[in-house]
Amino acid sequence: MNRIAWPALAMLMLALVFLLGPFVVVFVAGFSGDETLAFPPRSWGWRWMAHVFTVEAFQRSFATSLVVGVGSTLAALALGVPVAYALARHRLPGQEVVRTVLTLPLVVPGIIVGLALLNHMVLVHDLPVRASLLVGHTALLLPYAVRVVSASLANLRPDIDDAAVTLGATRAQAFFKVVLPNIRGGIAAAAVLAFITSFNQVPVSLFLTGPGVSTLPIEMMAYMETSYDPSIAALSTILVVFTIAVVAATERLLGISRYV
Amino acid sequence: MTRRVAWGLLLPALAFVSLFFLAPVLALLAGAFKVEGGAGLANFVAFFAEPLHEQVYWRTLRIALLATLVSALVCYPAAMAMVRVPPPWRGLLTGLVILPLMVSPIARTYSWIVLLGRNGFANSLLVGTGVIDEPVTLLFTEGAVFVGLLQLMMPLMLVSLVSALENLPADVLAAAQTLGADRWQTFFRVTLPLTQEGLIIGGTLVFTGCVTAYITPALLGGPKVLMLETLLYQKVNVAADPTAASVIAVLLLVTTVAVNQGLRRVGSVRRRRGRGAEAAAPGTPAVVEGRA
Repeated sequence: MNRIAWPALAMLMLALVFLLGPFVVVFVAGFSGDETLAFPPRSWGWRWMAHVFTVEAFQRSFATSLVVGVGSTLAALALGVPVAYALARHRLPGQEVVRTVLTLPLVVPGIIVGLALLNHMVLVHDLPVRASLLVGHTALLLPYAVRVVSASLANLRPDIDDAAVTLGATRAQAFFKVVLPNIRGGIAAAAVLAFITSFNQVPVSLFLTGPGVSTLPIEMMAYMETSYDPSIAALSTILVVFTIAVVAATERLLGISRYV
Repeated sequence: MTRRVAWGLLLPALAFVSLFFLAPVLALLAGAFKVEGGAGLANFVAFFAEPLHEQVYWRTLRIALLATLVSALVCYPAAMAMVRVPPPWRGLLTGLVILPLMVSPIARTYSWIVLLGRNGFANSLLVGTGVIDEPVTLLFTEGAVFVGLLQLMMPLMLVSLVSALENLPADVLAAAQTLGADRWQTFFRVTLPLTQEGLIIGGTLVFTGCVTAYITPALLGGPKVLMLETLLYQKVNVAADPTAASVIAVLLLVTTVAVNQGLRRVGSVRRRRGRGAEAAAPGTPAVVEGRA
């Protein structure tokens, strides 16, 4: 039973090479010393790694991506944690409808959300572009926050808040002093997942960026259209290493895979 | 917790989603049905009257379907091997499969530009070995978009199938063998029917992921190989045609929802006809949903 049939194993190897090979390619190209993109590179060096830090468009959009990522993650948690708590502790009439409505941002393609916000918020109601970016990302992250925090709450017996109340705590105290410390791990996992999702997000941002306000991935796509140097490979390498480090650290500290 | 408090906790999120998500999205979709003096489907008729639009729509469905089929064919045996890998390696493998989902899709798509570009690996190899004399165009072809999407979406199929196969009770397989089924019979009459839900979930994720992908068709297809999302972008930023953009938005949404519901129905009908055994129903990991 434990033997693995060799054709299946061969397929697994093939799938892994196909899934991970591209990362190796980007890594190698990122250390190119060539003037233009070629593979395999004809010379090697750190020059493009150093170069990407000097490109102003990348600096500015990286800052925007950070602000939007952190802001929308916090907003999604502020909106999502109460939802997860209410749904976990109370059976409400129509709670399936609530759940469905709150997962809709995952179902509707991001590009539609972005265009809808542009046409009906930015252009009609004068919502600033930066705010629309934040709002769009928050809507997208909300389902993740609700879902991951709900999974974390499911592991917590509801009687522990009742015990706290019996011992004289108010409902709010029971939440902040008993429930919240117990779901810290789930909230942190939700935050990491949400931030990464926002940071990598393109379709929602596509129409909500313009001169002055742009996110890093949008800026990378724009750069690719005009330049053929290995900068994007170098920047991609940095981002991949950064993501692996964050995910590995969270996994080690919090066991993110228990929640996601 | 009283009911009032519970609704109070839900209210901010519901208000936010209604105001900043539902209302603008519905307004955008409504634009597709607005015709002179009322509502109707005239905009859709006009949209499909354009041969390019029809071509883009079918191309999108074709590439998505092909990517779904190929990923199922590759991932099913791969997932069968994966669930039998012993524990220490198993965790590493799962990490390696999940990781691409967390990494910037731009980084993942960019590698194909490196590989398929004029001075890319494929051309260097082909010219170097004398197969061709001049570099050929590999980028901005339907093949490039297909390969890019397949790579982007394959982890979704693999993860869905692994979790379906994990939930498959071992004694059911043992029972099939005791009752005299050979390996192929066991596979086609027991394993496959009991894991079809994994195939359905994985298939839905891959198909809808391909239909709604923007980065891959934009970078690997360009204006030559338009798909629905890149066409939508063009309609807004190049053609300034908001009605066509709304029509495409409706098509994107209807297509993804129809596939979602349609496949779910197929799954539940089959399950009711199933032979008594509980189907292995995988829960989809949150990380898997809404990617790309």
